[in-house]
Amino acid sequence: MQKWLLRIGAVVALGLVLAFALGKLLPHWRTSSSDIEVDISDQDAIESGKYIARTADCVACHTTLDGKDYAGGLPMLTPLGAIYSTNITPDPDTGIGNYTFDDFKNAVKHGVRKDNSALYPAMPYPSYQIMPDDDIAALYAYFMSAVEPVNQPNRDSDLPPVLSWRWPLAYWQTLFASGRSFEPETDDEPLARGQYLIEGPGHCGSCHTERGVGFQEVALSNSGSEAFLAGATIDGWRAKSLRGEHGGLGTWEADELSEFFRTGRTDTSAAFGAMADVVEHSTQYMTDADIDAMSHYLKSLSPAAGKETAPDSKEDVTTQKLLDGDYDSRGAILYAEYCQVCHRADGKGVARIFPALDGNSAVYSTDADSVLQITLNGGRMPDTSHDRMAFTMPEFINLSDHDVAEVVNYVRNSWTNEASEVDVNDVVKMRDFLNKKPKTATEFPPDLGVSAAAQGEPRE
Amino acid sequence: MNKPLCERPAVVRFSPCRMPLLALTAALCAIGISGCSDPEPVERNAPEFDLVSADDANEDIDTYVLPQDTAILDEDNADEIFYGKRLLNETKRLLPDNVGAAMNCNSCHIAQGKIPLGDPYINSYNHYPRVMPRSGTEVDLEARINGCFQRSMNGKVLERDSPEMLAMMAYMQWLSQKTPETHKVDISNAGEVDTSLTPDTDRGEQIYQAQCATCHGDNGEGLKDSRGDVVFPPLWGEESFNIGAGMARTYKAAAFIKYNMPMGIQTQGLWGHGNVLSDQDAVDVAEFFTHQPRPDFADKVNDWPSGKKPPDARY
Repeated sequence: MQKWLLRIGAVVALGLVLAFALGKLLPHWRTSSSDIEVDISDQDAIESGKYIARTADCVACHTTLDGKDYAGGLPMLTPLGAIYSTNITPDPDTGIGNYTFDDFKNAVKHGVRKDNSALYPAMPYPSYQIMPDDDIAALYAYFMSAVEPVNQPNRDSDLPPVLSWRWPLAYWQTLFASGRSFEPETDDEPLARGQYLIEGPGHCGSCHTERGVGFQEVALSNSGSEAFLAGATIDGWRAKSLRGEHGGLGTWEADELSEFFRTGRTDTSAAFGAMADVVEHSTQYMTDADIDAMSHYLKSLSPAAGKETAPDSKEDVTTQKLLDGDYDSRGAILYAEYCQVCHRADGKGVARIFPALDGNSAVYSTDADSVLQITLNGGRMPDTSHDRMAFTMPEFINLSDHDVAEVVNYVRNSWTNEASEVDVNDVVKMRDFLNKKPKTATEFPPDLGVSAAAQGEPRE
Repeated sequence: MNKPLCERPAVVRFSPCRMPLLALTAALCAIGISGCSDPEPVERNAPEFDLVSADDANEDIDTYVLPQDTAILDEDNADEIFYGKRLLNETKRLLPDNVGAAMNCNSCHIAQGKIPLGDPYINSYNHYPRVMPRSGTEVDLEARINGCFQRSMNGKVLERDSPEMLAMMAYMQWLSQKTPETHKVDISNAGEVDTSLTPDTDRGEQIYQAQCATCHGDNGEGLKDSRGDVVFPPLWGEESFNIGAGMARTYKAAAFIKYNMPMGIQTQGLWGHGNVLSDQDAVDVAEFFTHQPRPDFADKVNDWPSGKKPPDARY
């Protein structure tokens, strides 16, 4: 073998050893110790921590469909295999029972485990890192004292080697999650509170901000860029833009947003998919003041760069055609057979029961993932204490892929809606994706047991 | 759509500090692509039921495939069939002179009469004429449809040879999919409910308020859409069905409710419907709403002439 090859080999090997060693060291520099003494039996702290856990929606990811609260095990799909959320109950063997407050804080805010290895950024520590230590202390008291310990070992990821190694993640953290603190955009206290909840514990950007080449959120706050909360596609859902353009929240009033956070629906819309889980587990429990703060902050965001604030106005000719039985396409015949009884000829649905399709950005958004997924798979609104019933959309999985494309194109381009056409391959891909995707709670019917409803049991 | 679900390498600007990640991402995406073969589009998975001869339900002869409305286009009288379908769906709006209640045929014949246990029309075309116990006479399909107009829709009969009657007949004939006259599709029009149960009206009212009132109204008044057309029919009051309707009978209503109500509550089934209530629940809630005030049926004196009145008959 030639000498230069050997030399290169040696340099590469040395480089790898150094990279590994540095990767092992990097997390140490992220962590910090504090002199906060947490009294985990302090009832006020526990109560406060319980509320903070709601605002951070810890339960959504750290609990499986039929599992115990916070015992982990929920798969999160990546193109290369699933990773599983961890047990964050205070069980000393399999959970976080041996975590000190500093260990807990370093995990939640800095993404570093007790053993000093890096956490996958599926855990939204880049968002959580702006949370004040006092809030983390309350959260710690809640988890240590009020969460039932569950002995359930964590699962290893299904990722292939390299990605399943922890030390390279330290570099990811250095590149994409360096230190950050909360910087209010305004002196207005409620607005700043809204900004904090959206940017920090609410970790809205985890779904609603586009991810970059390293899977990092391209902006963690509004001051960073107009890409913050400008919409992204995740888990086969289009998480819409929350900025001020028409396809974002331009047509929403702050009051409507608050109603949506509180009850999971408005007269024209309903939370579905991952957002239904968010309302069900998190926002419905938030105080009116916090909810209004979030709504007003979101309404203060400028339109995303280059996006229209008002749509081209289009005249509705669909309603009259449907009323007249003038079916001008295969999509119209399918709509009349399968959709019209609930969503109505005018596409306006029924207030708080069946969401409108006309003027609904989930229907006409450029990326049709959401409307494809919910058409094939169905889903349900969040179940909250505000409404007596939570309604479902049934699956239309038995339709042909061609017909799903036809009817989706029909609703995307009827009434005042205008959107690009999907083709049959988009349906094929979504069907294939859904075959692999684990089911979530809002893909199942609500608990309508007469005893539950009539006895007024809490619907958590 | 520009967002493939199967990740492909993104085109990114060259940036030295991102190089290792870029290379890694590209390599992993290559693995991703090779493991991602595009499946073929699937065809419709149509519900299928056995065809049996009308006198021997055990004799399996052939298969009935539930048709989708797009197949109506293949028929010579497609316009007439579509008209019939629309009349059944939107009876109140299209035939206001004949419908007294705020109801449509398909308020009860759910999903356009295409669902077993949901009062389907699948066998209607072949099932009539037959002798009905209620009238004590032979009734043909036109007369049966007109029975619904007088009772469930609290209105007036259609002319037997009117375009509207012929159109509804044409839809039901199409839905029978040329099933031979001597055969039937092996489905039940209504499900079973235990008729020995004693109804508890108070409990029925509680169930009604929890699980029916959101749609049918706190006072049974139903719900209309933004155009004023019926979405959920009134279950009592002047705009509801009259006491001559089958739905006014406790156990008939209970069987309907158990398998078909509420709608929009399951993630399967065309209406996401039914299978929430136990027999007792269904009987309780049925007793509650059927016995609320509702219009009388003038011709009730002619029903059950032979005297074999069912126990839950209202007169």
